[in-house]
Amino acid sequence: MVVPTVEPSDETLAARAAAGDDSAFEAIVRRYQARVFRLACRLTSDTDAPDILQETFLQLYRHLPSFRGESQFRTWLYRIASNAALMHRRARARRPAESLDVFLPRFDANGKHAATPAELQVASRADELLDRQLLAEKAREVMARLPDLYRDAFVLRDLEEMSTADVAQALGVEPATVRQRVHRARLMLRGYLSDLAGVKP
Amino acid sequence: MNEIVCVSGVELLMDYLEGVLPADLRAALDEHVAGCARCAAFVKSYLETPRILREATAATLPADLEASLKAFLRARTTAFRSA
Repeated sequence: MVVPTVEPSDETLAARAAAGDDSAFEAIVRRYQARVFRLACRLTSDTDAPDILQETFLQLYRHLPSFRGESQFRTWLYRIASNAALMHRRARARRPAESLDVFLPRFDANGKHAATPAELQVASRADELLDRQLLAEKAREVMARLPDLYRDAFVLRDLEEMSTADVAQALGVEPATVRQRVHRARLMLRGYLSDLAGVKP
Repeated sequence: MNEIVCVSGVELLMDYLEGVLPADLRAALDEHVAGCARCAAFVKSYLETPRILREATAATLPADLEASLKAFLRARTTAFRSA
């Protein structure tokens, strides 16, 4: 007979790890390493992600004893990862990215969409219209061009699918601010996908 | 009166989707989008954008990075010593 084993919750593992149980810390690393790596790629680049991955788990190890369970463990871990990405970006002092404002929707003098319905809808089929490999490359490029504040909010909210409240907690801002940043990012990215799929803004 | 045109509708879209828009504005936006083919098309593409980017940026952790993470943590913490 196979006895189903119940995986301990994140919070249980965190408490055990905080009390000095290394096997619990190792279990957290195994559970989250792929997700933190994916997050790090989205927040920075494939090149920077390995450093952020290491830094995140090192910081986690150091700060676990101060985890109070006031937020979900995952939210707290993603906050650590977002901060590690932020530090990394500062150290790099990147050139300001080329603005994505050109991809924002356009309206005529009466406030009506300037594009036709067919043109407006094209972005929703970008993944069917474009080669998968090309889309992946372009997606990485455009994520790097997003303003940092928009990218962080968009990545956590839309790519990692956290709730707006959790993103607000992870980034230390108000939910309304998260909504505003995610909205701007979606507008820019939507226009970018549209452009890629052949409709010039 | 809450007269919605495309440009003001777009600005309200996020709050609408998150359920934080007041009922009167919500109703006004519903009414506008129902009668505007451009906005209907725009909303569709706005909703699909996160999914397309999510799928296009779903990196997987390479095995060598998993091994180097373990080695890194073994060197700096007391974890992964027995593994």
